[in-house]
Amino acid sequence: MSISTLKDSDLLSVRDLTIEFGYGDFTVRAVDNVSFDLKRNKTLAIVGESGSGKSISSLAILGLLKHLRGRITKGSMLFDSEILGRQVDLTQLSERELRRIRGNEIAMIFQEPMTSLNPVFTIGSQMGETLALHQGLSQSAARKNALEFLELVRLPNAKRMLGNYPHQLSGGMRQRVMIAMALCCQPKILIADEPTTALDVTIQAQILHIIRDLQAEMGTSVIFISHDMGVVSEMADDVLVMKASKSVETGTVKQVLGSPTEPYTQALLAAVPRIGSMTGKTAPQLFDIPGQTQSTDAVAASAIDHSKPVLELENLTTRYDVRGGLLNRVTHRVHAAENVSLSIYPGETLALVGESGSGKSTVGKTIQQLVDPVSGAMRYHGKDIFSLPAPERKAFRKQTQYVFQDPYGSMNPRKTVGESLIEPAWVHGLVSTKQEAKDKVADLLVKVGLPAEHANRFPHQFSGGQRQRLCIARALACDPSLIIADEAVSALDVSVQAQVVNLLMKLQADQGLSYLFITHDMAVVERISHRVAVMYLGQIVEIGSRQQIFENPQHPYTKRLLSAVPVLNPGHRPIRPPLEGEIPSAMRAVGNEPNLVDLQRVEEGHFFAAESAEEHQAVLL
Amino acid sequence: MPVFRFILQRVLQAILVTLAVTLFVSFAIRLTGDPAIMLTADSSNVSEEDLAFIRETLGLNKPFFVQYFDFLKSLLSGDLGESFFRGSVRDLIAIAMPSTLLLAISSLGISILISIPLGIHSALHKGGLSDQVIRVLSLVGLSFPNFWLGIMFVLLLSITFPIFPASGFETWSALILPATTIGIILTATNVRLVRTQMLETLSAQYVMVARAKGLNERSVVYKHALRNAAIAIVTFLGLQFGNLIGGLVVVELVFNWPGMGTLSIEAIAQRDYPLLQATVSILAIMIVGVNLAVDLIYGLIDPRIRVA
Repeated sequence: MSISTLKDSDLLSVRDLTIEFGYGDFTVRAVDNVSFDLKRNKTLAIVGESGSGKSISSLAILGLLKHLRGRITKGSMLFDSEILGRQVDLTQLSERELRRIRGNEIAMIFQEPMTSLNPVFTIGSQMGETLALHQGLSQSAARKNALEFLELVRLPNAKRMLGNYPHQLSGGMRQRVMIAMALCCQPKILIADEPTTALDVTIQAQILHIIRDLQAEMGTSVIFISHDMGVVSEMADDVLVMKASKSVETGTVKQVLGSPTEPYTQALLAAVPRIGSMTGKTAPQLFDIPGQTQSTDAVAASAIDHSKPVLELENLTTRYDVRGGLLNRVTHRVHAAENVSLSIYPGETLALVGESGSGKSTVGKTIQQLVDPVSGAMRYHGKDIFSLPAPERKAFRKQTQYVFQDPYGSMNPRKTVGESLIEPAWVHGLVSTKQEAKDKVADLLVKVGLPAEHANRFPHQFSGGQRQRLCIARALACDPSLIIADEAVSALDVSVQAQVVNLLMKLQADQGLSYLFITHDMAVVERISHRVAVMYLGQIVEIGSRQQIFENPQHPYTKRLLSAVPVLNPGHRPIRPPLEGEIPSAMRAVGNEPNLVDLQRVEEGHFFAAESAEEHQAVLL
Repeated sequence: MPVFRFILQRVLQAILVTLAVTLFVSFAIRLTGDPAIMLTADSSNVSEEDLAFIRETLGLNKPFFVQYFDFLKSLLSGDLGESFFRGSVRDLIAIAMPSTLLLAISSLGISILISIPLGIHSALHKGGLSDQVIRVLSLVGLSFPNFWLGIMFVLLLSITFPIFPASGFETWSALILPATTIGIILTATNVRLVRTQMLETLSAQYVMVARAKGLNERSVVYKHALRNAAIAIVTFLGLQFGNLIGGLVVVELVFNWPGMGTLSIEAIAQRDYPLLQATVSILAIMIVGVNLAVDLIYGLIDPRIRVA
C-alpha cells in the first residue's frame, strides 16, 4: 500500500484495518477491513452490538492489542502527531513512540468505571502519575493540575478527593475521575468506550454533558463507542456502524441514523425503543422487527380484568440492617422499601422503575419471599400470604416466578437446559413421570420460540438472548400467574432485547400472565407496560397508567428520569437543565426515619407524592 | 475504633485458642505414659514406694485440674516453671526459640527471593517455554517430602562432598542445608501462588488503563499489578510463616537442629509434661500472633479495608 497523507481536516485516518486473534486453524478475524476518518474537533461514533469488533478497534489505535494477544495483519492508521512532529502510521510505531502518544495525545475512557481505577492508589496519585509521565511535572505541580481537572468535571470536594481511594466514590464519580484523568494531558483524541453503559440514566446525562462541554472547550476529537443509538444520536457528528467485525455503513449522523441505506442499520434502528413513540396509545405494542410478521392484534386481544387484583401489596416495608460500632449493634438501616402499596391485575404489566438503590429489586425479592419484610401485607387473590403457615407460603412461591438480569449466571452450567427447565416443576410436584417431564420441556421450549430438540444442550451452547428465553421458559414451568422480570432485558443487545420483549408480550396475550417489570430503562417501559410505578429512595413517588406517567408526569423525579433518556433524533442536541450531584443514600441512622410521602390523586388511577417546595428542590438537585 | 476492636477480638481469640490447645495437650500426654516409670525404666528393683515418691516430688499425684492450673499460673507469670529433668523451661525455650525463628525466617526468605521473580516471569510469559518449565519444576518440588529432600542434601553435600555440616548448629554454614530444604519446598507452592495472583491482576481493567496512560511495562507490572497481587501474596506468606514455626519438627529432626521442634519431641519422649505444655503453648500463641499481624498488614496494604 502506498504511503498516503492525511487530509487537513482529518486527525486520524484508518484504512483497511484488519485484526486477528489466534493462529492457524483457530484464527479469528475480530476486525475485517474497516476504514474510517476522524475529523478534527468532531465526534465519530462507532456503533454495533456485542462482538462486532468496536472495542478491539479502539485498543488497536492505542497499540494495546498485543496485551490481548491480538495483532494487526493489514491496514494503516495515519495520525497527525504533534509530539513526534510528523504524520505517523500508528501501526508502524515502536513501543517507545507509542508510549509517548498513549495517555498524552490519545487517551481513553473505559466502560467499567468500577474496575478502571486501581484500588490501592489514591485518585491524586493515579492522576499525578500521568501528568508526571507526560508533562514532567513535579509532585506538587501535578497535584495542582489534577485538582484543576477534577473541578473541570465538576466533582464536588475535588481537593479532598485527591486523597481518596476509588472504593470511596460512586460509579458516576469514578467515571468523572476517569474522564479527568484521560483529559489531563489535553489529548487530541479521546476514545470513550461505552463510557456510560454501566451508569444510571441521570448520571449518564451528566457524564455525556461533561464530555460534550470539555470537547468544545479543548477542541478534542472524540471516538465514541456505544451500542446505544440514543446516546450516539446525541453525541456523534459521524457514525460508523459495525456488524460481525465488518463495517456496514458510515456517514454523518443525519445520514446514518436519519435515512439509513443498509438493511442492518435499518433493523438496528427499528429495534431501538424510542421514548415518546407511544404517545397517544393506551395499550403496549410489539416492536416492529423487519423480516418478522407483525401481529399487533395479538397483544391488543388481551383484556385486563380490573375487577380483582392478582397481587396486592399494602404498606410493605423492607429494611436491611447495617451493623457497626464496638458491640456490633445495628447502627444504620437501609430503607430499601418504605410503605410500598401497589396492585397487579390479571394480564397486566406493571413496570417498577427507578435508579440503582431505589429499592425496586427489593420489592421484587420481597414478593418472591427471598427477603422478609419488616411490616406490611401481601395478598394473593385476596389471601394474606405473610400470615399463612409455611407450606402454603411455599405453594404461593410457585405462583410467582423470577427472571433475573444475568442470563449467564442464572442457569446451572452443568445441567442440560431440559433438566434446568423442569426442576421447578419437580420441586412443586407438577410433573410425576419422565414422559410428562419430557413433554413439558418440549412444550416450554416451543413456547419461548426455541426448537424442542434443544432440551439436551447445555447453557453455554446458547447465546445471551436465547438464554434469557430459557430463563423465561423456566419461569413458565410452574404455570405461574405472576412473573417478576428484574432487569430481564437490560443486558441484551437491542435487536435481541426487542425480540425478548415481544416474546414476553405474546406470552402475556396467550396465557393472561401478569408481569412486574423491574427496570431502569424508561424506553422499554413505554413499550411493554400498562401501568408504571416510579420509585425513589425506597418509596413510590408516582404511579399511574403508562400514558399518564409518560404524557403527564407530575413528580420532579419522574420528570428528571424521562428527560435524562437520550433521544434518537439525529442532529438534535438536547438542552437539559444541568443535573448535578448524586442521588442520596437510602441508608439512615437508627431512629432517623424517613418522611413518608403522601400520595395525592391527579386523576383516575394517577397518584403522585406532592411535597413542599423545599423537598422539590432537594429532589431536583 | 474498628482497629482497636479488631485487635481486642483477636487477642481474646488467641487466649481461647491457647487455653484449648494447652488443655488438650496436657490431658493427652498424661494418657500416654507415666514419667515416673519412664525415669526408672533403666534401673532394676524399683519399689512402688520409689515410684510414689517420684510422683509426689513431680507433683503428679495432684488432681489433673490442679496441675493444669499450676501450669497456667506459671505461664502467666512468665517463668514457665521447671522441667522434670532439665532445669528451667524458660532457659530451654530461650535457646531453642531463636534457632527455630532463624530457620523459619531464612527458609521463607529464600522462598520469597526465588518465587516472586519466577512467579511474575511465569505470569508474564504465560504458556511460553519458561512458564512451562517453571510449572513442571514447581510440581516436582511439591511432590518431594521435605525429610527426603533433607536427607538427599545431607548425602550429597555433607557426605559425598563435605561442604556443609550435616547436623547441629555450631557454625552459620549449618543453617544453609535445612533452610534451603524448606525454602525449596515452600517455593514450589509460592511460585504457583504468585503466578496465579499476577495473572489475575494483569487481566484487570485497571492494568489496561495504566497501559493506556502510556506507562512502561515495568511500572504497569511492578507498580499497578504487583501492588494488588501483593495483597493476597502477603496474606498467604504470613499464614505460611505461622505454619512454619509449628511445622519445622520433621526437618529439625533430620538436621538435628536445636529448635522448638526438637525440644518438643524430646519432651514427648521423656513425658516431660511442663516442658511439652510450655513449648506447645508458646507455639500456639506465636501462630495466633502471626495471624493477627497478617490481618493488620492486610489492612495496611489494602485501602479498601483500611479506609471505610
